[in-house]
Amino acid sequence: MKKQIAKYYPIIPVFAAYLVLFLIGRNVTGTWQLVAMLLFYCALGQAFNIFLGMTGYVDFGYVAFMGVGTYGMALSITRLANIEGLGAAVIAIGFLLALLMSTLLSLAVGAVALRLRGAYFAIATIGVNEGFRFLIEGARIWNGSEGLIFTAQLNQILGRETASALMTFWADIMVLIIAALAAFVTLFYMRSKIGYALTALREDEDAAKVMGINVTKFKIIAFVTSACFAGLVGAASWALKTPYVFPPEVFEIHYTIEAIIIVLLGGAGTLLGPVAGGLIYGISKYYLSIILPGFQLLIFAPIIILIIVLFPEGVIGMLKNRVKNSALARFII
Amino acid sequence: MALLTVENVTKRFGGLVAVNRVSFEIRQGEFIGIVGPNGSGKTTLFNVISGVYFPEEGKVTFDDIDITRLPPYKRAPLGIGRTFQIPRPFASATVRENIAVGAMFGSLSGKVSVDESLDIADKTIERVNLQEHREKPAGTLTPVEKKLMEIARALAMKPKLLLMDEAMAGMHPNDIDQMVSFIKRIAQEEKIAIVSMVEHIMRAVVGMAERVIVLHQGSKIVDAPTKEALEDPKVVEVYLGHPPEEK
Repeated sequence: MKKQIAKYYPIIPVFAAYLVLFLIGRNVTGTWQLVAMLLFYCALGQAFNIFLGMTGYVDFGYVAFMGVGTYGMALSITRLANIEGLGAAVIAIGFLLALLMSTLLSLAVGAVALRLRGAYFAIATIGVNEGFRFLIEGARIWNGSEGLIFTAQLNQILGRETASALMTFWADIMVLIIAALAAFVTLFYMRSKIGYALTALREDEDAAKVMGINVTKFKIIAFVTSACFAGLVGAASWALKTPYVFPPEVFEIHYTIEAIIIVLLGGAGTLLGPVAGGLIYGISKYYLSIILPGFQLLIFAPIIILIIVLFPEGVIGMLKNRVKNSALARFII
Repeated sequence: MALLTVENVTKRFGGLVAVNRVSFEIRQGEFIGIVGPNGSGKTTLFNVISGVYFPEEGKVTFDDIDITRLPPYKRAPLGIGRTFQIPRPFASATVRENIAVGAMFGSLSGKVSVDESLDIADKTIERVNLQEHREKPAGTLTPVEKKLMEIARALAMKPKLLLMDEAMAGMHPNDIDQMVSFIKRIAQEEKIAIVSMVEHIMRAVVGMAERVIVLHQGSKIVDAPTKEALEDPKVVEVYLGHPPEEK
């Protein structure tokens, strides 16, 4: 039993980091905005890492899952707001719908695109993201390019005060919980056959097949899990924090790129990596835009390149190798 | 009864016939050498047996199950293990984890937990004498160590049939002798049928195989007990060309 618990020690630094973030945000005046942004980036990295980090496949259409998650929450609020007696359950239904929609989309995309490898997979996923956006706009699904705005419905369901508290505080707490859950699932996968299968197929897919691993099955497991968390992040961080959704915003490839950078900065396939990556990325982005407004990207790009060159396995990947033979090795993976 | 039956198997790549109507049988626990010069179709034949390619014609049966068109990942649980000519370790994973993967998804698939697989890995590591490399990433091993690790990984699958692709290529003769006696011992202890593919290290074939199948340009030209096969004039001709005309 003790051995089983010891397997989950690496979750401690992850949860500790989230706790410290939370405490700073609550106790230092004026930092909650920054903390909320950092939590968003950590959650994004943590969710994407389950697919990108564990399988080595680069999904350039990842933001699409956040997009449909956002729509899931938006649809629940706009369509169910007038039903008496549902109240806050609309939010819960929104999360379920976000899960359902991101699962369905990832299954559909995964079943086709995961047969492709490398650059072909990446290109196919960009296509899915753009295609889905134009489908919503062109076919005028879910109000098309006019999007959905649901501040009024949110106020109606929860009352003005609660709705405002949801947007400014509770939505961020939900993101925090999603990030923590994603980290836990990552570690659970790492410790189970799924993790071993994913490592094997990431390193050598053909050898993995001959070793008896149903690579398609395991890729789809990672893909769908990762997409589900993206859907939840979209529902919490985008739909609840800013109660509107427009297709060009939620299918913006920029967020996919940010997610890739966060995962690679921190260390792809490591548990603590997305936290480190999210913090480094978020903090430098935030302060650079204050110190050097307008020039932040010019400075930001070289910093990212420098980190990637110095630590090709990511910051945590490097740290993991450093502490290999010390007592810390049990905590940092 | 035959463990593996290959019947009239043909595999083409476009106009090239890589394997041409090849048939043979392997019994349980038997030790077979497949020899042939470069390009004779050995690796393709291995890939057909392990499921990397499906043949255009013919039938492959393993343990009374028709596996001709079975995907490779379904063959491993039946008891087919293989090693690769150029070792293909899961580089970032440790030696122990690599071997545990074999235990997890081989013929014990679904019957062992992760912890039990790691225990099997530890035992297998001892058998191949890689204890000191247990926690090293497999990518950092030397080529010979990688070969040993691959053999250990395949053994952890508890196969009934082990396909070894040039297991001794690039090894020092002393290492070859050691490896030969090791593999022989394991095969006897665990009743594993072994098909060892060899291009030209006859030392390995003579030392282990009970029977030798010789391939030449995709066809089987000889299938006989080792000594007999290697002295067959057709085999000599394939390897050395025509004997000079006597004057």
